[in-house]
Amino acid sequence: MKKALMVLMAFAIVSVLAACADGQNGGQGGGAKQKTVAILTPYLASVTTNEMVESLKKQAAAHHWKTNVVDTKGDFGQLASRMEDLISSKVDAIVLVSTDPNQLKGQIQKAAQENIPVFGCDSGYIEGMTMNATSDNAAMSKMITEYLFQTMGGKGNLVVLTYRPHPGVLKRTQQLDTMLKQNPDIQVVTELQVQVPGPIENARKQMESLLLANQSEGSITAVWAGWDEPAIGAAQAIEAAGRKDIVVVGIDGTSQAIDMIQKGSPLIATVKQNFSGMAEIVAQQIDRVFQGQPVEGTELYAPASLVTKENAGQ
Amino acid sequence: MQQEGRVTRAGALNAGKLMRTYGTVLAGILIVIAFGLLSPESFATWENVINISRQISLLVIIALGATLVTAVGEFDLSVGAMASLGGVIAAQMAVSGMPIWLCMTAPLLIAFVIGYLNGWIVTRFRVLSFITTMAMGTVLGGLTFWLTGGSTVFEHIPDAFRRLGQSDWLGIPLLSVIMIVLTVLFWFVMSHTPFGRRLYAIGGNETASRMAGVNVSWNKNMAFALCAVLAALTGVLMASRLGSAHPTSGGGLFLPAYAAVFLGMTAFKEGVPNIWGTFVGAAIIGILANGLTILEVPTFAQDIITGCIVVAAVILQRLGRGER
Repeated sequence: MKKALMVLMAFAIVSVLAACADGQNGGQGGGAKQKTVAILTPYLASVTTNEMVESLKKQAAAHHWKTNVVDTKGDFGQLASRMEDLISSKVDAIVLVSTDPNQLKGQIQKAAQENIPVFGCDSGYIEGMTMNATSDNAAMSKMITEYLFQTMGGKGNLVVLTYRPHPGVLKRTQQLDTMLKQNPDIQVVTELQVQVPGPIENARKQMESLLLANQSEGSITAVWAGWDEPAIGAAQAIEAAGRKDIVVVGIDGTSQAIDMIQKGSPLIATVKQNFSGMAEIVAQQIDRVFQGQPVEGTELYAPASLVTKENAGQ
Repeated sequence: MQQEGRVTRAGALNAGKLMRTYGTVLAGILIVIAFGLLSPESFATWENVINISRQISLLVIIALGATLVTAVGEFDLSVGAMASLGGVIAAQMAVSGMPIWLCMTAPLLIAFVIGYLNGWIVTRFRVLSFITTMAMGTVLGGLTFWLTGGSTVFEHIPDAFRRLGQSDWLGIPLLSVIMIVLTVLFWFVMSHTPFGRRLYAIGGNETASRMAGVNVSWNKNMAFALCAVLAALTGVLMASRLGSAHPTSGGGLFLPAYAAVFLGMTAFKEGVPNIWGTFVGAAIIGILANGLTILEVPTFAQDIITGCIVVAAVILQRLGRGER
C-alpha cells in the first residue's frame, strides 16, 4: 500500500512535469521557426520591472515571438545559473530586465560565443551585450532634484532614502551627491538604504522613526527617494504623523505615486519614466537583429517627464 | 506454504526498506529521466551535466555546513548573511590588491570566529540557536552594508580573483571539483571520525552524550564554526563566479540549503541529517531548477513544483516509516 503510494506520487510528479512542458510546447502552434525570447530578471515583484516585463511580452506577442519569463527573487547566483540554462536551451534572444550586467559577465560572454544576443531593459550596457534601453538616470535625478531644491528655497534638511546596489538608483543617488555639493545650505540628515523587497513598508517604518527623532518644525524639510516606492512609504508616514512641513519626491512615475501627487499628499513630484517606451525600443532592436540588421545604438534612452500636482491628472 | 508466505513478506519488507532508504534517490533518478525524455537535445547533454554540477556546487557547500549544525539538533539562520559578508570581504580585499590566497582565506578565518561565537552564545547562555543566529544574521547584514555602502563590489576586481569560480580542470569546473572534495571530506569526518560520531550522538540525545563524557559545548561550537566557514567559502566562491560581490547575494541560498538538508534526511539514513543525503537533496533542487528552466516552465510553476516535491518527499518518508 505504502509502496503503491510512493510510486503513485512519483508518477504524479513526472506527469506534472510533462504537463508543464506540454503546455509550453503547445503554445508554439506548430510554428517550427517561431523565435523564443527569454526575459530574465531578479526583481519581477517590483512594480516598474513588472510593467517592463508585461510590455515586453505584449511586444513579443505582436511580433509572434514566444516568451519565457524567469524571475530569481533578488538572487544573482540563481540568475547566473538560469541564464546558463537558457543558453543551453538555445533561445533566440535574452532580455535582462532591471539587472546589473556586471554580475553576469561570464554568462554574457558565453551567450555571445553561442551567438545568442543579450539585450538590456533598464539594465546597463557592458561588452558582449547587443544593446540596452533605459532612461537617462542622471538626467532624471537632475530634473527632480532641481525641482526639489527650488521648492526648498535652496536650504533645509534633507532625508535620503535610496538603494545603492541597484545600478540605476546608484546613478540617481550619485547625481544627488554632486548637486548636494553645489548646494551647501542643504544638509543631509541621514541617508538610509531601503530594503528590497518590501520597500514601501520598509521606508514607511524608517520615516516613522526619523519623524519621532526629529519632531521640531524644520528639522526635516524634505525627503529625496531614489524611486517611487520608498517615496510612497515616506509620504504615508508623514501624512499619518500629521506633519505638514515636509515634502517628498520620487522617481519612476508609478500610478500609485501619481495618484498621491494628484490628491495632495506630501509626495509632490516624481519623474515619469517611460517603461513601456523602453520595452518598445528593446523589441524594435530585437526585431532588427532577427532580420540581420545592426542595432541603432548600444545605449538608447526613452525620454522621461516631470510630474507635479499641476500636470498629474493629464 | 507458511514458509512461502514468510518469504514474500520478507521480500515486501526488503522492498519497503529499499524504498525508504533510496526512495528520494529513486525520485531524483525519475526526475532526471523525465527531463531527459522531454528535452533530450538540451537537458540530456554532457554540457548540461557540467552546467548542473557547477550550479549546484555553491548550494551543496553551504548546505554541508547546515547539515553539521542540523546534526547536533540546532539551526544556523545566519548562513545566507555569512555568505554575503564572506564574498564582500574577499572582493574588497582583492580590489585593494592583496594576494588572492589571502583574499580567499581571510574571510574563512573571520567566519570561523563568528561561527564559534554563535555556538558559544547558544551553549553558554542556553539561548535558542534559532534566535541567536537570526540576530547574528542581522548583524552580519548590517556589517556587509557598512563595508560596501550598499553597493555591489565589481570594479577593479583582478582576473586572478575570478579564476577559482570560472576556470575548468580537465573540462570540469573547479567549483564542481571543490564541491566533490568537500562532500567526500565531510562525509569522512561525519562517518569515520570521533568528532562526527560525537555530533550525531549529541543530536540523538544531548543529555546522554553529556553523561557519557562528551564535551557537548565544544563540539556544538565547532559545528557552528565549520558551518560559518562553509557559508563564507560559498560567498567567496560566488563572488569569484560572478566576478562581483552583491551585499545580499547569499540570502537566496539560505532556504534552499535547509531544503537540501531536509530532503537529504529522507535519503540514505532515515530522518538523520547526512552528508550524501544533503548532496542528493541539493542535486534534486538544482536539477529541478535547471530542467524546468530548459523546459521553459514559468518561474511561479517552478516554485510550486519544487516546494511540492520537498513536501512530498518528507510525507512519503513518514508514511514509509509507518507514522501518521
